[in-house]
Amino acid sequence: MTHLPIETLVALRESGVEPGTAAAREHLDGCPHCRAELERLHQRVARFKALPALRSGRDRWPAVRDRVRAERRRLRARYAGFAGLAAAASVAAVVGLGSLRQEASPLSPVEIEQAMTRSRDLETALDRIDPESRVLDGRTAGIAQELEDRIARVDQQLEMAEMMEQQARDTRVLRLWRERVGLLDALVDVHVTRASKVGL
Amino acid sequence: MDSYLLSDAESVVARARQGDETALEALYRAFEVPVYNLARRICRTTEDAEDVLQETFFEVCRSIGRYREEGSLWGWIRTIAASKALMRLRRNKYRDTDELQDELVGNPKEETHLRMDLEAALERLPEVSRAVVWLHDVEGYTHDEIAGMMGKTPSFSKSQLARAHARLRRWLGEEVAT
Repeated sequence: MTHLPIETLVALRESGVEPGTAAAREHLDGCPHCRAELERLHQRVARFKALPALRSGRDRWPAVRDRVRAERRRLRARYAGFAGLAAAASVAAVVGLGSLRQEASPLSPVEIEQAMTRSRDLETALDRIDPESRVLDGRTAGIAQELEDRIARVDQQLEMAEMMEQQARDTRVLRLWRERVGLLDALVDVHVTRASKVGL
Repeated sequence: MDSYLLSDAESVVARARQGDETALEALYRAFEVPVYNLARRICRTTEDAEDVLQETFFEVCRSIGRYREEGSLWGWIRTIAASKALMRLRRNKYRDTDELQDELVGNPKEETHLRMDLEAALERLPEVSRAVVWLHDVEGYTHDEIAGMMGKTPSFSKSQLARAHARLRRWLGEEVAT
């Protein structure tokens, strides 16, 4: 008697009906050898599933977290650059397309551009302070870190807002950019206050 | 499996979407073991598996906003992990599935008496065969899904699985006497 090849036995475990499956099942009914092979196959798979989980010897979260933070910094820098471009574009818009302004949506893009420009100015101010090179006391560092995290979250939401529909997006983007400006303002304050306190 | 690994998955995901670092870490802690296990079963070395673990969670952190909750959270993370692991295999220019056949098959009569344990037999399979066995038999992916992830045809996946089981049967001394 010719027994079922391994390909057929493996295929018999699938839920779909493949060509030849009915004939193979018929053979299986009358062949104890093939039934035993199929049973072994099932057992082997069950043993695979029962293998103990392997665990990493190292904690990779710090490396993941550091990359996520670096990515957020990169995004922030990108938005800062974007704000510069937007500011330039707004000047062109005011000069060249002034007459079309009356048709703009109730939420004028100028408001968004103003918030972006303010955000860029604050980023520049922050760069001048160069907070990375300064040592902060624990409490101040905690506040600065919290503000940095919230700015990063706003940046992430700005990125997601790009997928929204125009009208909803404008409203959301304006709110986020204003929130970003507020947070950056606070962050600059934290560093300036700290710097003046110690006479830097 | 989500609720088993992460009891408050919905709220953790919502916070993770807002960029909350503690929520992102909670996701990592909840799923690091199954992700590493999957990666290690597919990759040849622990270093590769650890890199896949890191790559997977970096992608999870970046893309959590795009997770639509249509399937399970673990299913979503697992697909990212499987793709990263398979990408790692491709990058390492895995040995061709037939390359090792002569080396591994050796003398079938002798092999019958080797009776390796399951871990050793699995480890001994060529990378691609092992990946197909693990993804299909343990993780429950279909041949179509595996083919999609590997950039191959479903027939390729099916034949890899059959050949892998033929080898495993022999190495484990499980051939039924006729």
